[in-house]
Amino acid sequence: MWVDEELTLEGLGTAVAPALSRRRRGAGAGAPAGWVRDRLATTPGRLVLVQILVVVGAVCFGAIATGAEQSRERAAKAARSQTEPLLVQAKNLYTSLSDANATVATGLLSGGVETALNRSRYLADLRTATTALSRLTSESGTSAASPVALSKIGDQLPLYSGLVETARANNRQGFPIGAAYLRQAVALSTGSMLPAADRIYRAEAQRLQADYHTGTATSTLVTFAAASAVALILLLLAQWYVTRISRRILSVPMLAATVGVAAIAVWGIVALINEQNSLLTAQKHGSDSVEVLSASTVLLSRAQGDLSLALVNRGTDETDQLDLTAVERELTPLTGEISVLARRTGTTAAADRFDVDYASYQAQTNRIKDLQNNGKLPAALALGPATSAISDRLSSDLGGQVQAAQERFSTAATNATSALDGLAFAIPVITVLAAVAALLGLRERINEYR
Amino acid sequence: MRSRLRHIAGLALIAATVAGCGTTSDQASRMALAALETPAPHATSKPPGAAAPCTASLRPPATLPTPGNLPADSFMAKIRKRGSLIAGVSAGTLNFGYYNPSSGSIEGFEIDLVDEVAKAIFGTAKHHVSLVALTVGQREPFVQEGKVDIVADVVTMTCARAEKVDFSTVYYDAKQRVLVPKSSGANSISDLAGKEVCATAGSTPIYVMEHLPHPPDPVGASQSIDCLVLLQQGAVAGISTDSSILDGFEAQDPNTKIVGSPIADVPYGMEINKAHPDFVRFVNGVLAELERNGTWQQLQAKWLGQFGPPESPPQPQYQG
Repeated sequence: MWVDEELTLEGLGTAVAPALSRRRRGAGAGAPAGWVRDRLATTPGRLVLVQILVVVGAVCFGAIATGAEQSRERAAKAARSQTEPLLVQAKNLYTSLSDANATVATGLLSGGVETALNRSRYLADLRTATTALSRLTSESGTSAASPVALSKIGDQLPLYSGLVETARANNRQGFPIGAAYLRQAVALSTGSMLPAADRIYRAEAQRLQADYHTGTATSTLVTFAAASAVALILLLLAQWYVTRISRRILSVPMLAATVGVAAIAVWGIVALINEQNSLLTAQKHGSDSVEVLSASTVLLSRAQGDLSLALVNRGTDETDQLDLTAVERELTPLTGEISVLARRTGTTAAADRFDVDYASYQAQTNRIKDLQNNGKLPAALALGPATSAISDRLSSDLGGQVQAAQERFSTAATNATSALDGLAFAIPVITVLAAVAALLGLRERINEYR
Repeated sequence: MRSRLRHIAGLALIAATVAGCGTTSDQASRMALAALETPAPHATSKPPGAAAPCTASLRPPATLPTPGNLPADSFMAKIRKRGSLIAGVSAGTLNFGYYNPSSGSIEGFEIDLVDEVAKAIFGTAKHHVSLVALTVGQREPFVQEGKVDIVADVVTMTCARAEKVDFSTVYYDAKQRVLVPKSSGANSISDLAGKEVCATAGSTPIYVMEHLPHPPDPVGASQSIDCLVLLQQGAVAGISTDSSILDGFEAQDPNTKIVGSPIADVPYGMEINKAHPDFVRFVNGVLAELERNGTWQQLQAKWLGQFGPPESPPQPQYQG
């Protein structure tokens, strides 16, 4: 082979780069600079230099393009199969803990014994919470959730359920202390476990946000496009130069190399744009809705919990009513947001149903608050079951919407990752093939000087 | 992206609400939470002052007007015309005034006394009593604003309260006593000197405890029932409050006992608006009649007989 040992890839960095820089500075002729000068003196020598440039260009293009593709692919894959699922677990943890409070409070409201439905809902909440907690804990290496917050919930969940059972046991005997235990359980939950769940949720949400940011970064697309453009321009310049010095018009292998690079450039740009759009769809039509709906679910169960607690406390305590007012102030703008998102995603039917139910829920809670403020406790208590039925409808409504939003996310996120399918493999392969073709093309010309 | 951040902020706000006005503002909850992890914290509440002897009330008329014969311009006649007596009561004090989940109504000794007042106005209490479940903070304002005609809600007759509302004569003489676990070696409040003893934050029992010769370490809970939770969880060594309340606690937890002699008198009176002295006199007449004809004793036996021997009705004190 004509190419001597000095032209191995390892040799390139040490040999060529210092040589070029020293030449530019016009420094005295060192050995590498001298080598380049020698090559520039003859046409085959110049072609050898072009070969070196082709190799360097190919390596650079391959590295940059692969880097850009990998950054997008990693982010999209992480969002689809790691970050978002963990966020869903964090959401499950938060909403189930919150729902458990409301469910227990509503259960104790019904008098001595809660309904079977109420009991199974509470147990399901506990199961969801423990499942989510163990998922988040087992992936605490990769998840953003703080281990402190996780272990806090892990420590307190048994205490919480113990307090709830004590409340139930006392309530079955008609003892007012049942309500006091319930208050303590709810205080443990809202004062400690839910804030910890909130911290976990926020950490996961921020991580998903970071993945979206990386997965849709325009700078990545620009980098890829620029690298492709530079590679193509270099190839065309090389061909022009070779045509000039060798007085031959066409080199088929070099043309093939150009076509190859152009193809991978077009493929890459289209794929990256598709991935970016799909990921944006995943966010705007999927996870955004999931977040708003989850926040509403949490607030709604908190409102229902407050309402029930105020009734369970039989008008001996005003803090729950105050909290209810605060929660409703938060919840009302969120319901507006739900409609906005529903219009964006074209699922207005579910959102409209929710609006109607929410309006009647608000009317009902206002009636109860009014009755309570005027000391009409039995009348207020009588409205309890109907109100909790509306609340159940609202939360299952939200649950359905979350499910749908989750599916929209999955579809779009899968589209995003599959948009990049094959690209990670194709970029290096086609780059190497193009480089080899270009080198072959150049070698043809060099051989003509033998 | 802006909306997403807003949601994160929204959820943060939930947490802030939790930390702020939510449950954590409730001293009992905070205490209860701390009780799970650490020894019970020490309450530093400002009690309203000892129950001073503001127990005298207006003298009843020599003969009580019959329901059909109420003085035309009297407040009783107004109530009768309205069709119902509006009474502020407790819904959470076992046997005095509490919501009974199985019957779906508020029942107790005080509720029966209110019924007797209604009977004196309408001839029958049936359909003529409207019960209003009040929080401690609502009691005096509701009387002053005329939202209720009368309050019978285990109200201790303090001079501070007597400045805002008129009291009836004493209808029940509770005593401040102390409740401990059955396993406790304490036989009186003095055995609990320096130990944590719970009462409702800001209540008279805390003031009384602080001024004992060998005071315990008072712990304030937001509701008296929270004290029983703390006792069951071993966070406090005892509870010292009205015997009427402690009786209810003992009934809910047979592993507790009331020990020692009474620490202080806790006289209960009914609150009435100062604008209606005629109604105060009328109610005092009803109470005197109940005590004379044995109804008081019957009701005491019905609701409170399970806690001890029959009691004799309190001796009414009159002024003016």
